[in-house]
Amino acid sequence: MRLLHRWSLWALALGAIIAAIGPYLFKTSPEEAVAPPFVKPVWLAKDAPPSLHLTITEEHLERRFLWEYEPPLRFSLKGAMRFEVPPEVAQIVWQTPKGTMVLYDASKKAESRIDLDARDVSFKLALGLSPFQNPMPHLFPATGEYALRLESSEPPAEISLALQVPGSRWGLLGTDQRGRDVFHLFILGIRVSLLVGLSATFIATALGLAFGLSSGYFGGIIDAVIMRAVDVLLSVPTLPIMIVLAGLWGKGLFNLILILSAFSWMSTARTVRSMTLSLREAPFVEGLRALGAPSSYILWRHLLPEALPLLLANIALGVPGAVLAEAGLSFLGLSDPRLVSWGRMLHEAHAFGAFTSGAWWLILPPGFGIAGLCLVFLDLGRHLEEILDPRLRRKAL
Amino acid sequence: MALKAYWGRRIASSLLVLAVVLVLNFFLFRILPGDPVSAIIDPRFSPQAKEELAALFGLDRPMGEQFLLYVKQMLTFNFGVSFLSQRPVWDEIRSRLPNTLILLSSAMAISALLGIYLGVIAAAKRGGFIERLVLWAGAISFSFPSFFIQLVMLLLFAFAMPIFPLRGSVSIPPPPPGWPAMIDYIWHMVLPVSSLVILGFGSWALYVRNLMVKVLGEDFVFLARAKGLPQRLILWRHAFRSILPPIVTIIFLSLPGVVSGAVITETVFSLHGVGRFLLESVTGQDYPAAGAAFFLLALLTVVCNLLADLAYGFVDPRIGLERKMER
Repeated sequence: MRLLHRWSLWALALGAIIAAIGPYLFKTSPEEAVAPPFVKPVWLAKDAPPSLHLTITEEHLERRFLWEYEPPLRFSLKGAMRFEVPPEVAQIVWQTPKGTMVLYDASKKAESRIDLDARDVSFKLALGLSPFQNPMPHLFPATGEYALRLESSEPPAEISLALQVPGSRWGLLGTDQRGRDVFHLFILGIRVSLLVGLSATFIATALGLAFGLSSGYFGGIIDAVIMRAVDVLLSVPTLPIMIVLAGLWGKGLFNLILILSAFSWMSTARTVRSMTLSLREAPFVEGLRALGAPSSYILWRHLLPEALPLLLANIALGVPGAVLAEAGLSFLGLSDPRLVSWGRMLHEAHAFGAFTSGAWWLILPPGFGIAGLCLVFLDLGRHLEEILDPRLRRKAL
Repeated sequence: MALKAYWGRRIASSLLVLAVVLVLNFFLFRILPGDPVSAIIDPRFSPQAKEELAALFGLDRPMGEQFLLYVKQMLTFNFGVSFLSQRPVWDEIRSRLPNTLILLSSAMAISALLGIYLGVIAAAKRGGFIERLVLWAGAISFSFPSFFIQLVMLLLFAFAMPIFPLRGSVSIPPPPPGWPAMIDYIWHMVLPVSSLVILGFGSWALYVRNLMVKVLGEDFVFLARAKGLPQRLILWRHAFRSILPPIVTIIFLSLPGVVSGAVITETVFSLHGVGRFLLESVTGQDYPAAGAAFFLLALLTVVCNLLADLAYGFVDPRIGLERKMER
């Protein structure tokens, strides 16, 4: 098969595999915030602080780490600890290169729940700062070795503390306005684009096939009505109609597919009609009619198989249109907000201030994703066309 | 006369499209939202306004009569009252219509002229730089989403290099009327128009190039060469003149797409236009406003289609002689 030598076929296969296994590649849900909003990709911001997660347990009462970056943006310490008897001294100590400070004093308390956040006024006051001061430079005064530990007169019976310092860089493609992983969203986005593009094109092709066949074969009033409908639909701006339908009818995925296919069957119908017009007069059809074959039999068993292979290329060439239309509608905010798609990502980037923060990593990946998908199908379609219609091959050379 | 018959047929087909749009509009905005009353009258309107609107659209009459009244109101641009702004819809649209018209016409004119010029040059010098540019521009406009190119332009020229404004049609506060206002307006339109040109000229140039390549191989061009006519004369007077009719055809075939593109462009650049008004009305469930904006966009397409058809009659002299035409 010559098709196997095309890069586009392999690219499509890769895309389909990613679409199929995408949700299982990540442990977390895409809705979960992993870092602060609009954080840069890891490879771009080498000096920006990374995310830091430390836990203190019964086995590890002290955690040491090296900090070689600017002060981070946030700091939070959460957890609980319990002693058999109230201890004489029990302090959670934060050691910096410039000295130590007590974050929390649990002396003479058998049980304590700890919930500290650098944004809390009480925490700032406990550190000896004013409520309006930013505590981060105080907590991270210099680069060097830091430590978080529990200093107590006796070992605790139970302890579990988690220190969370979200960094200013994340993953391959940074984060979006809600602090979600853009790479994760990008991988998931291919599902919707591929699903909508393929299914809308299949439905549209089926519609075009049905209308084109009946229009060409039966002729007369049926032909006139269908061809007038095609003319009208081709001379009305379709995007406004789709906007109206999506707005009035609901934004579900299924509705979107139906709307897209309802407005993209026209050119297929025209192609099929002209093909049927010439086939109708072919001797074998005349022979079938003379033998008394009913129209449905001729259409179903003879004309349809003739038309189908030629439509294969038509389908591949139609997918980019559907993908672009889906992206356009999603970009206008007319898609299901719970579904991640590339168009939706661009909509959110545009609507929630990716520009004021210069977050290009929110805009370029989905855009190139859409364009790449379209190019793959265009190449595939053109190649199928060449295989099915050898006349084109000579022209291409 | 055959020419008259041609124009008559074209006008009749435009009227058919208009009729379909009206029926679709009536169905979408009257029947789909539930009942016709809630599609025109917002509960928050004053009792007096409610009565007026009910009388205007004949809400107590049977459906058929309502439809006729509706058609009459639509054709006289009497669109009712907007739910969101509580002002007559036509007033809202009238302030936006010029922006949309200017955006569409200037983008279309520039991209068509540029595309045609580059297409002819590309066909004349096969394998040159211009031809490669044309092929690339065509490929980009077919595979990249239009709004993505616009977003990237916005990112480059309004954020990274803040030469142009990030959003809107007018600066805030608005500049004094006269020349400053004019310059401010042009400054706001540069990015939207040039993005539409970048997206549009590729397909024009590709189309013109393919037509030109075919024509340049024909005998009459060969004859013109043999006569020793200068290249420019051959290209523009002889070859280009003969592909003018199909170019006019493509004008009206591309119009619906251009209008659709306007909706997206106005959204990306936050322009004060009819397309964005349609989107805002639909998402805000402002049925009278959405219906009116949709009707006007469709009407715009139909009218431009008709104009293109009439122009076709002028550029192709065969129309007057032969009734059968290719579409």
